[in-house]
Amino acid sequence: MTVRLETPVRREDHRASRRWGARHLIAAGLGVLGIVALIALRATTAESGPAGLPDVAQDLLTLSTSVIIESLPFIVLGIALSILVQVWIPEAWLLRILPRNQWGRRAVISLFGMFLPVCECGNVPLARGLVRRGFTIPESMVFLVAAPILNPVTILTTHAAFGFDDGILVARLLGGFLIANVLGWLFSLHPEPQSLLTGRFAEECRIDDGHRHGTRAEQTVDLFVRESSILMPALVIGALVAGGIQVAVPRDVLVALGSDPLFSVLAMMALAFVISVCSNVDAFFILPFASTFLPGSIVAFLVFGPIIDIKMLALMRTTYSTRTLLRVTLVVGLLSAVLGLVVNYVV
Amino acid sequence: MWSSVQRWRGVALIAAISAVALWLAASGQLVLYIHPRYIVFTVIMAAIALVLVVAAVASAASRRRRDEEAPVSRRERALGLSAAAIAGAFVIGMLVIPPATLSTATAEQRQINATAADLDALDDAAEADDAAVARFTVREWSSILRQTSDLGFFADKPVTDLVGFVAPDPDDPENVFYISRFVITCCAVDAQPLGVPVHQPGWQDEFPVDSWVSVTGEFAANPSESSLQPLVVMPDAIEAVEQPSEPYLF
Repeated sequence: MTVRLETPVRREDHRASRRWGARHLIAAGLGVLGIVALIALRATTAESGPAGLPDVAQDLLTLSTSVIIESLPFIVLGIALSILVQVWIPEAWLLRILPRNQWGRRAVISLFGMFLPVCECGNVPLARGLVRRGFTIPESMVFLVAAPILNPVTILTTHAAFGFDDGILVARLLGGFLIANVLGWLFSLHPEPQSLLTGRFAEECRIDDGHRHGTRAEQTVDLFVRESSILMPALVIGALVAGGIQVAVPRDVLVALGSDPLFSVLAMMALAFVISVCSNVDAFFILPFASTFLPGSIVAFLVFGPIIDIKMLALMRTTYSTRTLLRVTLVVGLLSAVLGLVVNYVV
Repeated sequence: MWSSVQRWRGVALIAAISAVALWLAASGQLVLYIHPRYIVFTVIMAAIALVLVVAAVASAASRRRRDEEAPVSRRERALGLSAAAIAGAFVIGMLVIPPATLSTATAEQRQINATAADLDALDDAAEADDAAVARFTVREWSSILRQTSDLGFFADKPVTDLVGFVAPDPDDPENVFYISRFVITCCAVDAQPLGVPVHQPGWQDEFPVDSWVSVTGEFAANPSESSLQPLVVMPDAIEAVEQPSEPYLF
């Protein structure tokens, strides 16, 4: 009896998978052709393409392109890790290592970056994956804020740039940890955490709950399509705005404020917001400014920048509502400024 | 149309951007945008992205319609479509406009030598032998000039074949230009312009702004009355050269 029941199903499966083969090979071939066509187009326009843009427009294109190219590998890595967490790692693994206590949980989550050394733009898809996997929304924020700072690559590059001078490294790590946990605690008091998300992402999480369809390979491809469809337009537009502001705002306006204990902190945070550079290397970027700016303002740059900047806001907007992001920006901004001032006045 | 735009916009963008990144890497031009240490990582991740893109296109052949899509308001739909359109237009620009380095427009906007590139440059230079001095780039010279204007220090240190692009000195554009380079720590976004002032009245007639030159000469007190630079290179020879394949310093 069981045999009879199974046979037709199996046969259908078999037929389906055979049909799958031919059509999918053709589609894959078309996909490869499309990619080759893109590369061929790029190669032929390299010499003969429309040139002679005005300098400012050309520089806008170059700057925005560089933000996109620099973020691309991290976004792909982030999507890949997010797929790994959602599809390939058994749920129990992730939840088993976490303490029961709320503060303990958040403290451990803020150290996740030590094992997932992705720069901040890659953390957005990963945080989305964690929420879908049952992490609370405040916990996803703790991860998002702490991981780009408390991660081995960032620690190495910050140490390479500053050593232990002026307590910059220590202040950065402790500051990142504290701000993330305070932020997580604040949002954990929210009565309706679901309302922190954008309507669309909340809906996705609700539908996702519990059941998954298709094989793991199908889920992998499906997640890649969905995540890239949401993140890529945000990345391009974030890069475009970041490039536009770079072209428009003269750098010396910010640098002129450098030696005042209060304004240097605010100016550095403004610079971090505008420049949208990855946390893995921002220490090298800011090193040349170290001679003109006070150490506290450097710390503020290194703590505020990884979390809040133009590119990150565009990416985070895919997941959290605008109101939520305003509050996050406010809290992180205030805490970073306080941290910077403390370093300026005390150390 | 909405649902297919929504589904495929990301795949199309990531495919085009990854294809551009691979082509830039193959033609050695990825350094126009990012620091060389990221090249391998970028190429690997772009290749992975393209494999996933092909898999996504292939799986489309058997996609059954799913009713999972959340209903979207008209406003959200318009917003999503225009975001996709802007992103698409920009990426088409990335595909067809020839890659270029940053120009003097950005150098002026960011102010040449606003920051110090190399804080140890002066100490290093004091110990350097002639061969090492001859290899100094705009990076070393501009850092030294920031730290000393003692002409004696430069007595036995001539500038040899210093390569950079031409940018006018804002205080005396007639007589002085900077031989300049951008220094990059991560990607072109953080490029800092550095420059060494060169005194050559009427330089515009021979060397257009943004063109690449090689300068040989010696440092001397600046004869210009309006330029703020205490020292300048008095050139023995200025030659027009091709833009180097790695225009930025790292």
